[in-house]
Amino acid sequence: MSTTPGLVNEVNLIDQLLAEQRSLTAVERFARRHEACDAPAQARYYHDLIPLSKPAAGQQYAFAVDLDACTGCKACVSACHSLNGLEEDETWRDIGLLVGSMPDERPYLQTVTTACHHCAEPGCLEGCPVMAYEKDAETGIVRHLDDQCIGCQYCTLKCPYGVPKYSSRLGIVRKCDMCHERLAVGEAPACVQACPHEAITIRLVDIEEVATSAHPGTQMISGAFDSSYTKPTTTYHSLKPLPANAAPADAHQLRLEHAHWPLILMLISTQMAVGLFVVAALTRAAEFPLMAAGFAALNAGLFAAVFHLGRPLGAWRFFLGLRTSWMSREILAFSLTATIGAPAVAASFLFPGSGLAFALNLITSMLGLVSIFTSAMIYVDTRRALWSPVHSFGRFFGTTAMLGIMGSAVVFGASGWTRGMQWALATGMLAHLFLLAAGYAGYFFPKRTRQSAHTLRRFLPWLLPARAILFTISGITSILAMQTGWPFAIAALLSCTAAQLLERYAFFTTVHAYKMPGGI
Amino acid sequence: MSGSANIRDRIRALTPTRDLLSLRAWRGPLTEELVRSPGQFGLGQIPTTLAPDATTTTVCGFCSTGCGLNVHLKDGQAVNLSADTTYPVNLGMACPKGWEALTPLSSPDRGTTPLVRRRRGGLLEPSDWESAMVLFCEELKALKAKHGPESVAFLSTGQIPTEEMAFLGCLFKFGMGFIHCDSNTRQCMATSHVAYKQSFGFDAPPFTYADFEESDVLVFIGANPCIAHPIMWQRVMRNPHSPEIIVVDPRATETAMAATQHYAIQPKSDLTLLYGLAHLLIEMNAVKRDFVDAHTTGYEEFADFVRNFPPARVSEATGIPEERLRAFARSIANGQRVSFWWTMGVNQGHESTRTAQAIINLALMTGNIGRPGTGANSITGQCNAMGSRIFANVTSLVGAHDATNPAHRAKVARSLGIHESVIPTQPSLAYDQIVQGIADGQIKGLWVIATNSSHSWIHQSEFNAILDKLEFLVVQDLYPTTETAQRADLYLPAAGWGEKEGTFINSERRIGLTKKVRRAPGQALSDFSIFQLIAHYWGCGDMFSRWTSPEATFQLLKEISRGQPYDITGIADYRHIDESGGIQWPLPEETSDAVAPSVSSASTPSVEPERRLFEDGQFFTSDGRARFLFDEPRPMAERPDDAYPFLLLTGRGTSAQWHTNTRTAKSDVLRKLYPARCYVEIHPDDAARLGIEPNAPVRIASRRAEITAAAFITPTVQPGQIFVPMHYGELNQLTFPSFDPHSRQPSYKACAVRIEPA
Repeated sequence: MSTTPGLVNEVNLIDQLLAEQRSLTAVERFARRHEACDAPAQARYYHDLIPLSKPAAGQQYAFAVDLDACTGCKACVSACHSLNGLEEDETWRDIGLLVGSMPDERPYLQTVTTACHHCAEPGCLEGCPVMAYEKDAETGIVRHLDDQCIGCQYCTLKCPYGVPKYSSRLGIVRKCDMCHERLAVGEAPACVQACPHEAITIRLVDIEEVATSAHPGTQMISGAFDSSYTKPTTTYHSLKPLPANAAPADAHQLRLEHAHWPLILMLISTQMAVGLFVVAALTRAAEFPLMAAGFAALNAGLFAAVFHLGRPLGAWRFFLGLRTSWMSREILAFSLTATIGAPAVAASFLFPGSGLAFALNLITSMLGLVSIFTSAMIYVDTRRALWSPVHSFGRFFGTTAMLGIMGSAVVFGASGWTRGMQWALATGMLAHLFLLAAGYAGYFFPKRTRQSAHTLRRFLPWLLPARAILFTISGITSILAMQTGWPFAIAALLSCTAAQLLERYAFFTTVHAYKMPGGI
Repeated sequence: MSGSANIRDRIRALTPTRDLLSLRAWRGPLTEELVRSPGQFGLGQIPTTLAPDATTTTVCGFCSTGCGLNVHLKDGQAVNLSADTTYPVNLGMACPKGWEALTPLSSPDRGTTPLVRRRRGGLLEPSDWESAMVLFCEELKALKAKHGPESVAFLSTGQIPTEEMAFLGCLFKFGMGFIHCDSNTRQCMATSHVAYKQSFGFDAPPFTYADFEESDVLVFIGANPCIAHPIMWQRVMRNPHSPEIIVVDPRATETAMAATQHYAIQPKSDLTLLYGLAHLLIEMNAVKRDFVDAHTTGYEEFADFVRNFPPARVSEATGIPEERLRAFARSIANGQRVSFWWTMGVNQGHESTRTAQAIINLALMTGNIGRPGTGANSITGQCNAMGSRIFANVTSLVGAHDATNPAHRAKVARSLGIHESVIPTQPSLAYDQIVQGIADGQIKGLWVIATNSSHSWIHQSEFNAILDKLEFLVVQDLYPTTETAQRADLYLPAAGWGEKEGTFINSERRIGLTKKVRRAPGQALSDFSIFQLIAHYWGCGDMFSRWTSPEATFQLLKEISRGQPYDITGIADYRHIDESGGIQWPLPEETSDAVAPSVSSASTPSVEPERRLFEDGQFFTSDGRARFLFDEPRPMAERPDDAYPFLLLTGRGTSAQWHTNTRTAKSDVLRKLYPARCYVEIHPDDAARLGIEPNAPVRIASRRAEITAAAFITPTVQPGQIFVPMHYGELNQLTFPSFDPHSRQPSYKACAVRIEPA
């Protein structure tokens, strides 16, 4: 193109159109109608939908949903997303569907909009090891302190409504804060502003009343978890009676939950470690190698756990949650175990067979067992069926016993105590048989864990057979070890460990995670 | 609770201030990400990271509701949007698609350069506009030279602005000299168009959205506005008259759930039902004789005809007991302001035009038209289907003129400054006939603009096989990834809604303005610019020298509208539309002068925000009277039989999905709001009988194809019927190609299938 002054440029039409395409002219060309207006224009639609006054003492803000007005447009979800600047795939509100039939056999459909229920006794808050949750003293809003969060994701397991969601980009969890900044200045939360049918409102509720009326067996709406657990404050209203058979549209949908591999490795490793310490204390044979192996496994496990944290640098604050959080207690218990474990190992090395070494190991073992207990309680405390006390304690202590004993067998064999190795292999295999049988029992006679059994059948049909094969391999290698020598015990230990990794994988992935009703 | 409060107090006691290094980080970079601050511009609080420096209103580009969206701009570019508080259509609300309207523009699979497939079976390879235009013109000119003007066709859309549609139609017919073209509006609104044209003398949906609020009886036939037009349903919910809401639909849809009466008729028995209602209304003396006598013709013949539709016959055909039919008719008879609303359940049928007219007949005979809260009202589908119906220059001459009428030809030629001889008098083939033309080898070149026929056309597998016969297929779209674009020989990257200017006409005839608030990626150009380029390269640029911009084109279209029922000569310009919150047609020059200037804007005359047609009882026919039109009902083309015992219904899935999901699938938020996999609704009795488990895969087979879908077992469908949403690509492999003889609209909602566990 010529740039000679005074000449008309011969502009190519394509270039001209591309240049036009890049120019944005809406602002100059058209009215900027809102320029002068500072008051929120939408207030005309929402001023009746939020309380006139701030919560009084003992009161808090709560969502109230008029089911009869909710017709399934789902605008609340995207409005919340846009007006709160969430990540592309992040939503703080969700929509579910209840399906059933009326007494007169007419069909029943009801969409259910749901966000955080700002519970009177929030499970997320109680589970958080670093107090990254705050139930606001004035408003009752359960806020998440994003910069406090260490990304342990325990709240995502604790909340029975599936509210907190983890962002791998940020390494933290985020959730609905009821647009607390908006409410503070008399503006409505985004979802309230955006509902074409005024189905979502903010009301004041009496916290004590919410807590006392949440008896065991009550639920906010069909498909929601028992309200007695966290005492949610959201209320759902309808003039039409909800049919008894109304069920979430996704009630039959099975899905694999997150595997949490660092946690799987951490649990298996720490459990083997504690088992080794305990065996050392009980037998007082090969104390140093047992405890050294235990100490190594313990630290390997704790190291693996760090990879589960989105922001591990803040984890030193773990003690903040000690009052309510089993996660905090677990971190404390394992820290103490490792702290006492180190001098215990040293004592067993420097003063083999001494009373000091035994005493230190006894403390380590006791602390270790307490740690396993806290590990199990982390899961028990979520109230998920597959993580019930029987399941969690059975699996965790069973694994502790089996891997501790099998690990000891290798140590005994390597230190030349063949008879000890043989006894250990035999006992360990009994424990393995018991764990495998428990796995099959849970599969064939699931009772409360039917959903998990279905999930296992649907997605991991190979898992139990694989465990059985590993059991067989560990059995054969154990016999070979007894007859030909200890190196086969290593193979036995490895196959037992692999079997437990699979068991723990299923423990995490096939758990039925409670949540609000979902869609088709 | 008190416990955690205690520990909190203790922690606070330990830490002197929140801002100093403390055990609890109350602030920091992560917290900052979500901090809200006063947004100005009347927005209330908004995320600080997305704070705008200006805002502007634009009209949504998904459906025909035509909501106003308030775009938040930073440096002229859209960073966010919210529903516009004051726009008269949506009153501060929007559906999820509207809220997410900007997201599909940022999709990584946007087309950024023209793409060329150099040999069949090869890949689409990047090219440039110069080469693409040369190729486009060479190929189509060669076809025209060899096979004549009937050898190339286009299929376009209801999704682009009126100015672009008009440009396309005029360029193709007047400039390039071809004949055959049609639009995907054939798939949604052709029936309403023809029905209105025949009954009222012009394609004129008479209503305004205020009618939703002013009725005391609303009858929805084959419509599911709760999820298909949620913002129209907002207006229904605002109705203060505790209206009777009657829904006619084979399925218990969301709207049926919200209704006061639901008639779950047998599929495609709607025509019989409507004639039966007319029969009962006559029996109940509910006919407004004075209105009928003064403003209609053909009533006596119609009354005679419906004598053959006694309740017994209608009950047998529809499956509705006689006493419920009477209750239905009584509700209409007792209503003071009855409005009738229909959508695709009516329009997509094998006798859809007569069905729509049967609804019109009910409104006419009961005098429910031309008054607030009344009307026989077609709810349109696409954002600019109404623009297409008037200006697309496909089957009628641009501006709803008749190409065979010399006066019309002369007027159009004069308005556009072209020679009359370039206006072809030969009518265009309809969509299905164009497809047939390709199959027969008559049509050898096809240009597809902003539609995804390979997904959406009925009996899809046959359609795609037919496409392979083309010698040259051009696809012009935002994405080269659509099913249709994947078959193209040449792909042209188009700018989308939000990246260009123009007007849409919504369901209530409101002309709304859509603005350029985003930069298109790469070399993508607005369809308008692409048409300018083609005109230039084809050698007919002079003919379109006045089409310099969308707004200049709008002024041309105003001229074309002069004297027509939709006369919009009273609209000054884009700014007038923008400041008025959209303007409903008609607005002839004199009307606009008569209205006092608005207080807010001195430059442009103000317009009454809600206007309806036929308040004077005068229709657009030559004698000013509306027509009663009717025909004997016919059975559907493919009825269930022993081999294929189930009837497959199709329709909208959720409010978060739009048609072939080309755009809606690009938004993570919208994807969360609809089922990811194709699913099928099956009645519990059928599922039990066939051993189909909840959520288990089901094989659905028709005589044409077989697909798999997840079972959703629900009593909302009737036994013997199944429902699959239309958004899943595989569905239309099953559908049976039958068409309404008047509108040539495909009957998507009825074909015979069998199902079994997969």
